[in-house]
Amino acid sequence: MSAMAKVTEEQTLVERFRRGDDSAFDRIVERHSAEVAALANRLLGWPGDVDDMVQDVFVAAFVNLKKFRGDCRLRTWLFAITVNKCRSHRLHRRRRLHIRRVDDLEAVAGCDEAAERPAIDEETFVRIRKAVQALPQKYREVVVLRYLQGLEPAEVGELLRLRANVVQVRLNRARKRLKETLDNLIEEQS
Amino acid sequence: MSEERIQRLLQQADQIAGPPAFGPVSTGTIRQRIHRRWVIRSTAIMAAAAVIAVATALWTVRMRTEKPQPPTIASLETQVEQLRVQADATLRLVQEVLAKDRQQRRLASLEAELSSIAEPMAEIERQVDKTAFILVYQADKLYKELNQTESAVVAYKEVIQLFPKNRWADVARERLSQIEQRQINKSDDKGETRCKPAAV
Repeated sequence: MSAMAKVTEEQTLVERFRRGDDSAFDRIVERHSAEVAALANRLLGWPGDVDDMVQDVFVAAFVNLKKFRGDCRLRTWLFAITVNKCRSHRLHRRRRLHIRRVDDLEAVAGCDEAAERPAIDEETFVRIRKAVQALPQKYREVVVLRYLQGLEPAEVGELLRLRANVVQVRLNRARKRLKETLDNLIEEQS
Repeated sequence: MSEERIQRLLQQADQIAGPPAFGPVSTGTIRQRIHRRWVIRSTAIMAAAAVIAVATALWTVRMRTEKPQPPTIASLETQVEQLRVQADATLRLVQEVLAKDRQQRRLASLEAELSSIAEPMAEIERQVDKTAFILVYQADKLYKELNQTESAVVAYKEVIQLFPKNRWADVARERLSQIEQRQINKSDDKGETRCKPAAV
C-alpha cells in the first residue's frame, strides 16, 4: 500500500470515528498499537511491560482524536502522544526498572532461542541500556526515534516540533556521549 | 562510520530486549478506563470539597466558642511594671504617713507628760539639782572611799562645767579647793606636787 493510500485510509478511519463508529478506532489500534508499544518500550529503557503506557496513549488518542486536524500522519500523532506520556511517566519508569530487572533478563534469555541469535550478550545489553538511560531525555528521544524507530530526521523534527538542524545537533551530541560510554564496544564492532 | 556502529549496537540491544508485552486495547476497555478515571477524579474532588467544608465548619465553630484572645505578653509585662511602680509609690506614702503619726503621738505623749507636771520649771530645777547631787556624791565616793583623787577631780570639774549656778557646783569647787590645799600641803612635806587641778 502506498503512503498516499495509507493517509487516505487513516483519514477515512478518523472521519468514521468522528461519526461515532467505534470500530474505526479499533482498526487504528490494531494498526498502530505494536509500533506505539515498541516506541514506549524503547523510550522507557526496555522495561518489557508497557501495557499501562499503551493504554494511556490510546485513551488520550480516543479523547483527542476528534480534534485531530490531519496536519501530520496519524502514526506521527500517536508517536507524539507516546513521547509526551513517556516524559510524564519518567519517575515511575525508574522504579519499575529496578523491580523488573531480573524478570527482564530471564525473559530476554527465553526469547533468544526463538529469535535470531543476537550479536551481543546480556552483559553488553545491560551496558547499552544503562548508557541509553543515562542520556538526557532530549538526546534519548532523538536517538530512539532515529536509530530504533527508524524515522527520518525530518519526521523526528516534526514529531518533537524541532527544526531539522536541532535534531541533527542533538543526534551528534547523543552519539558523542554514547561513544564515550560504549567506546570499547564500538571498537569491538569495528 | 561510528554512527552506523552505534545504530547497530542499539538495534542489537533492542533485538535482545525483544518485543514489549501489552494487553489488548479496544474501545470497550478504553471507555471503561475513561469512566474509571472520571469516577476517581469526581470522588477526589468531592472528598476534597467535603474536607474543606468540614474544616471550615470546625473553624467557624471554634471561632464562635473561642474566648477573646488574652493580651499579649508584652502588654502584660507593661501592666505589671506599672502596677509595681504604683505599689512602690503607695508604700512610700504609707511609710511617710506612719512616721508622721508616730511623731505626733510622741509629741502628744510628751505634751501630756508635760501637762501632768504642776510646775515644770521647778521640776526641772529639782531634776538638775538631783543630777548634780548624784555626780558630787559619786565624786566624793571616789575621793574619800576609793582614794581616786584624779577621777574625783575630773568629776567635780564636770559638775562645775554642767551646772555652774547650782549649789552642788559650789560644793564641787569647795572639794576641789580642799584637794588642792591638801596636795599643796603634801608637796610642802615631800617637796613635790602630784596633782595640780586647774583653776575653774
